Amino acid sequence: MTGTYATVITVVALLFAGWALICAATNRRPTLLLFAAAVLLEALLLGFAVGGVVQMAESARHFARAEFVGYLLGCLVIPPLAFYWARGERSRSGTLVIALAFLITPVMVLRVQQVWAGSVG
Amino acid sequence: MADTDAPHSPAPTGRGFGRFLVAVYGILALGATSRSAVQLATDFNKAPLAYLLSAFAAVVYIVATISLARGDVTSRRVATVAISIELVGVLIVGAASELFHSDFQQATVWTGFGSGYVFVPLVLPFVGLWWLRHTR
Repeated sequence: MTGTYATVITVVALLFAGWALICAATNRRPTLLLFAAAVLLEALLLGFAVGGVVQMAESARHFARAEFVGYLLGCLVIPPLAFYWARGERSRSGTLVIALAFLITPVMVLRVQQVWAGSVG
Repeated sequence: MADTDAPHSPAPTGRGFGRFLVAVYGILALGATSRSAVQLATDFNKAPLAYLLSAFAAVVYIVATISLARGDVTSRRVATVAISIELVGVLIVGAASELFHSDFQQATVWTGFGSGYVFVPLVLPFVGLWWLRHTR
């Protein structure tokens, strides 16, 4: 599904992850810019979820629909949770929490695509 | 900064490195729960034992995540029990999945000692128990 858009999210998430990991390696606490990146990623994922559901509604194909929606929602949940959990931690661990969210996002996007293609579930 | 080593005030397990650890546990909790929900909802009869174990693993991860995040005296005990069960679980299910391939094909987080999750499930309980000792 939505190949290019998914690729964009993956690339952006990986770039953010690299950046966050560098910040963590240099012992920096999460900055405002890092939180802004999480918000931006969430916005991209919202578009992904809406696009995904629309495509699903238009498709008559048989695939694991509940799982598909589940993974789309799973994608959406991660950045806000990371945002909330990292906010209270003024050390590099907070930065690592954000980095983790950025790293997991491509995996989740990949799972969404696998379910769409029908190779899972 | 409350991380002085006063003997009777245990450092919260959800701060510092614990923040990161709880996040990792949270991801596994999410992964295990969603996997198990799909398994139980779609084809429970295919491999009941493995699917029940999968659901059990999900519960263990949820409990470990929440108790580590809370970090009070009771939560520490709960976390210790949960993470010990997790350790035993990943070792036994890991070994069983190697011995009885057919029943455990990618069925739980612990299959193949957590190989489907880059062995994080195998390493995590050791780190968790170390962290609980370290913050005592």
